Amino acid sequence: MMSGGPAVRVSIESSCERQVQEVSLDGMETYVPPLSMSQNLAKLAQRIDFGQSSDSDEERTDREKRDEWSTREAEEDEGTVKFQPSLWPWDSVRNNLRSALTEMCVLHDVLSVVKEKKYMALDPVSQDPTVAKTPQVFQLISKKRSLATAAQLLLKGAEKLTKSLAENQEQRRQRDFNSELLRLRSQWKLRKVGDKILGDLSYRSAGSLFPHQGTFEVIKNTDIDLDKKVPDDYCPLTVQIPSDLEGSAYIKVSIQKQSPDIGDLGTLNLFRRPPKAKPGSQMWHLRLEAAQNVLLCKEIFAQLSREAVQIKSQIPHIVVKNQIISHPFPGLQLSISLCHSAGEKKSQRASPDRIKPDDHLYVLEHNLHQLIREFHKQTLSSVTMPHPASAPFGHKRLRLAGPMGYDKAEISSWQHIEGLLEKIIKQAKHIFLRSRTARTIDSLASRIEDPQIQAHWSNINDVYESSVKVLITSQGYEQICKSIQLQLNIGVEQIRVVHRDGRVITLSHQEQELQDFLLSQMSQHQVHAVQQLAKVMGWHVLSFSNHVGLGPIESVGNASAITVASPNGEHAISVRNGPESGCKVLVQFPRSQAKEPPKSDVVQDGKWSHLRGSYKEVHWGRMEGRNFVYKMELLMAALTPCS
Amino acid sequence: MGVTCVCQVPVAEGKSVQQTVDMLHKKLEQLGAVKQGNFWVDCETYHATANATGQQSKQLYVMHNSEAPLSCMALFEGGPFLTADANFDVLMVKLKSHFQNAKSHKVESRGARYRYCDFLVKVGTIAMSSSAKGISVEVEYCACVIPGDCLNLIKEFMQSFLGSNAPEMPSNKAEGQLYTPVDCVDPMSQYLELFGKVRKQQVLPSSGVR
Repeated sequence: MMSGGPAVRVSIESSCERQVQEVSLDGMETYVPPLSMSQNLAKLAQRIDFGQSSDSDEERTDREKRDEWSTREAEEDEGTVKFQPSLWPWDSVRNNLRSALTEMCVLHDVLSVVKEKKYMALDPVSQDPTVAKTPQVFQLISKKRSLATAAQLLLKGAEKLTKSLAENQEQRRQRDFNSELLRLRSQWKLRKVGDKILGDLSYRSAGSLFPHQGTFEVIKNTDIDLDKKVPDDYCPLTVQIPSDLEGSAYIKVSIQKQSPDIGDLGTLNLFRRPPKAKPGSQMWHLRLEAAQNVLLCKEIFAQLSREAVQIKSQIPHIVVKNQIISHPFPGLQLSISLCHSAGEKKSQRASPDRIKPDDHLYVLEHNLHQLIREFHKQTLSSVTMPHPASAPFGHKRLRLAGPMGYDKAEISSWQHIEGLLEKIIKQAKHIFLRSRTARTIDSLASRIEDPQIQAHWSNINDVYESSVKVLITSQGYEQICKSIQLQLNIGVEQIRVVHRDGRVITLSHQEQELQDFLLSQMSQHQVHAVQQLAKVMGWHVLSFSNHVGLGPIESVGNASAITVASPNGEHAISVRNGPESGCKVLVQFPRSQAKEPPKSDVVQDGKWSHLRGSYKEVHWGRMEGRNFVYKMELLMAALTPCS
Repeated sequence: MGVTCVCQVPVAEGKSVQQTVDMLHKKLEQLGAVKQGNFWVDCETYHATANATGQQSKQLYVMHNSEAPLSCMALFEGGPFLTADANFDVLMVKLKSHFQNAKSHKVESRGARYRYCDFLVKVGTIAMSSSAKGISVEVEYCACVIPGDCLNLIKEFMQSFLGSNAPEMPSNKAEGQLYTPVDCVDPMSQYLELFGKVRKQQVLPSSGVR
């Protein structure tokens, strides 16, 4: 009971569980309207997934639902709660469950039937009984017939194939000639004259001016018996080459020291080199190639002999039959011969003239081929054609000679007046000079051990020029004693030597000159080495001369001499080295160490005894040490006091 | 191609042209020069035919030099020049209507060519219609193409064998030209000047044997 006072109004309000949808500008809150119970239920039901909820099912269920709903509505229109629209989702659920139940029952029934066999049993479907009974004889006959049909078909097919194969072979033999001819035509020039097929194997189209025709004839090979076995190297066509181009040929270039007997000139050298047969090349190809080579060799030889006769040189060239002999250097003979072995004869292998086969300078033979090809190219080159009518023939640059005012030196440098023979002789001279220089250096290197001589040949050289760098060093002292370095440029007739100190010396082709020069350089090297060694050891050079005028005269070069003094001045070493006289080493001792100290009335002061006095020769041969510089180092070390 | 200097050597007292030339040859050989064949330089005069305005017709000189055997040089006196192929002569024949050859004015200098290291000395007899008129000496220093650098050297060399006859240096070269490289027309213009002098001398009663 409330005691007096007015009644307090108490209002109860549920807590606001609604979400605020929007707060308007004047502070009014708008709440999201809460879901009614049915809406809530519907929302939850829709979250459940009932499996196949395809559109058609849905439609069907919808239709069913509608039908049901309409019928049920007609029956009971009391508004049962069950058929309110909000229960639509549960309908599909119910239908799906019902169908699942049906399926399960069926499956259960089938399984119980299979397992228990109480009310029903499974029975296989029986075969049709009418097919089973056929007598075996009939089977056999029918099988035989079908096999016979199949065999007949196969035999017919095989017969057709063999027939076509035989036809092909026959055709191929006929066609072979054409295909061979096609192959021949792809590599050689052919033309049809009347009913003959002629070809051209000369270098006419490549620019050669040799008058030989070089025609060959292509003949069909019909003497083949088709019944017999076809030989392996059978070729349906053969070529007939001119008789003077048969066999094989090559140009032999050789250098001999002594000239052989005059009676040996003009013998036909019959060394025969087997032709290199490339695999897969036909017989006609080999023969044609050999014939073309013979033609080229003949052209080369004809050109060389023509020039040999025309050109005037100091020693005339001799042309005898198939040999051209010239003398590039005195005592040396260069012979260029055309070796042509005609036909297939192999018996001439054992020729008495079998001198060293490596006499043959293959390089020069190759160069001859290259030179003649260059000559061919020149006649055809675009340098000469096309060509304005007013300009002279020759190099294109010469057309500018007039307007540019070229003088004679420039014009002559543009005109090639050297013939094939001159070029090849120059090349032969160079090769000979180079090999002789190499031999000289090598013989010196093997003979003399003390200053070592090294030759570094340049890899890049010209047909007319090669170069080699010659170093003279002492073993073990290469870094100290490297003052003698020579660059030799070997030309066609001369050797030009460029010394490290700038001198340029031209040596002739004489072997002796080079040898003498190198010997003199080696002797100078020893003295230079002493000078360098003195620098390193701290000794002072008192005098040094590359060419002393004292002492015995050397026949080769000059002797050099040096005098060095020890660091404290007490001792001095004098060295004189000559290419012929060898080395002579003298040591100067201070006066105080002389055996008999000179007594003199004039010189009485003791200090004079510290000066250097008499000389004593060193037995250089008995010194220890493997080379001159080593011995010198030991001597210097011995004469330098340790303190 | 080097710097060239052309000068005229007067004929020695009491000697003929040939004897003077022989004397020069001997001096050169004593010096150590080597004879290397012959040389010739010639000059032909062409008159341009009078044009409508009646101006004085210019003279075109066409010169040949054995040093450039395939070339032909055409010069106007003090004016432009042209270096051409040897076919230029044929062209001049075709242009007969515009340029007429004054055949009597052909001057040439022929003689021996000596080589002394880098120097080429050419001693030639100037002849006009096969009568000797004078002696020309040309010295070419092959090692240099800039006149300013070597004219003094050439002068010294010429003094060594010409003695007092050595000329003064050509003053016709403007300052700018002294240090530009020479071309093949330079000796030609010098020869032209020389030939012009010789032609003028001929007009005076020439004392042939002086």
